[in-house]
Amino acid sequence: MYEIDAKFREYFNELDPAKRLELLDALTDDEDTQLLRRLYSERYIKEKDHWLWRAICLQMLYGQWRLFKSSRNKEAMGILRELHTEDDNCFLYHEYRNVARRYLSTCKCSGYASSLMGLKTASDDEKIIKACLDIWQMSEGIARQENLRDNMKLWIKAFYDELVNYSSICRQEYERLCKHYISPSY
Amino acid sequence: MEQNRFAAAFKQNAIWLVFIIEIAIFAYFNPKFLSLPNIINISRQVSYYGIASIGMTFVILIAGIDLSIASIVVLVNVVCAYLMMNMGWNMWLAIIVSIVMATLIGILNGFMVSTIGIPAIIATFASQTIFRGLAYILSGGLPIPDVLRYAPEVGLNGNPTLSFFARWTLNHWSIFPKTGIGLIPVCAIIMVICFAIGSFILNKSYFGRYFYAIGGNEEAAELSGIRVSKMKYLIYALSGFFAGLAGIIVLSRTGSAQASSLVGFEFEVITCVVLGGVSVAGGIGHMSGVIAGVLIIGSLKSGMVMMNVSEYTQMVVQGLVLAIAVGFDCFSKKRNAS
Repeated sequence: MYEIDAKFREYFNELDPAKRLELLDALTDDEDTQLLRRLYSERYIKEKDHWLWRAICLQMLYGQWRLFKSSRNKEAMGILRELHTEDDNCFLYHEYRNVARRYLSTCKCSGYASSLMGLKTASDDEKIIKACLDIWQMSEGIARQENLRDNMKLWIKAFYDELVNYSSICRQEYERLCKHYISPSY
Repeated sequence: MEQNRFAAAFKQNAIWLVFIIEIAIFAYFNPKFLSLPNIINISRQVSYYGIASIGMTFVILIAGIDLSIASIVVLVNVVCAYLMMNMGWNMWLAIIVSIVMATLIGILNGFMVSTIGIPAIIATFASQTIFRGLAYILSGGLPIPDVLRYAPEVGLNGNPTLSFFARWTLNHWSIFPKTGIGLIPVCAIIMVICFAIGSFILNKSYFGRYFYAIGGNEEAAELSGIRVSKMKYLIYALSGFFAGLAGIIVLSRTGSAQASSLVGFEFEVITCVVLGGVSVAGGIGHMSGVIAGVLIIGSLKSGMVMMNVSEYTQMVVQGLVLAIAVGFDCFSKKRNAS
């Protein structure tokens, strides 16, 4: 459904922003490339991965207590607008997958999912389970909590597809999280 | 679904329920527990725990730890008293210098943790030893007494009446002055203001988000553009600042500075924070829970004193509370993972 031309594959597989820009520059300047450039400039602002930050913000909104629920919903909607989640676009799908992959690339670091103030490092399995939870919260979880599943279809699908590629146990863990989802009351 | 929502709400606010049950138990065994003088006493007692716990909350949120806060409190105590009593400095100047010094110690912790890369527990343990030692050196191992009688207008030992410094915490601020209703100790007001600032930083500012992001996944936070190293400096500096402020409150409460005091204070503060739901794994927690944690520990200490529980038994109980709080956090994490 979201198949892309082979010439774009390397671009979407690359995680380093500088190398991605080089790959983008190497592509012929057509309508598709212009769209990619626009997405690139929206995603990377002053060497910061703005979309990755927004994904982290979505995760932080999950389960966050607010005096007025509407303010949280409003903030989530604002983030989604920045991410263009209501659009259904092949490039956008792969860009979202790239965001998810970049996040997952950090989940193998030694400090990730450590406990007891960093004294106890996590095992590989614990890291994968925490990665599943993080990805779930920044996509399916926040969508369920704020009733935004329709607005986030593409985002959820991209994150899910990337997660199930990450490890064999991710699909099962994701389904478990969906099954045991408890709507926060606040 | 409604049941689930109720369960989630219950879980979110369970800590306050624990607080209410604790109050009810102590009030049942000793009706004076809920008397106004005791409530005022508890609010005074928790004020310095509360203030120090704000900085510790920030540190634990980024999956760090600050074991040096007790030494910072003690050093601020000694330095502030020394400047006022031995050098005749103006009270406000002594307070400002002491708090700036505490903040600089926090920055030093940040440097060791962030730039050098020493594990937080070792770096802050080293600071703890260094600054406790400095407090001993400065005071010569002796208490600096009579701070409450310090009167800047006449200088050292000039006026036996209580100075403004003493009034700062011994007096109350009354909502209705003529009736005496609504008596609140000044140090408790300072604690409330500090909690409001802490909540604002965590909930309303970008810094708060950065703290959560670093605690949740430091590498991802770095990739998304957060300057993790600088943030760690800021967080340890804030921890030092709040510990410094707590030190001033302690000094104004006790009226003397002693290098050997407050042993184990850092663990009591950690207990308050972890009990309040801040995860030792980092990235999870909120200030309202910490307020509950502080109130629980303050009430527990006061309640045990009123029930004539020995000091040694109190230590056992506080140790158990810390173990249960951390154990519960680890257990929840394991249960979520399985």
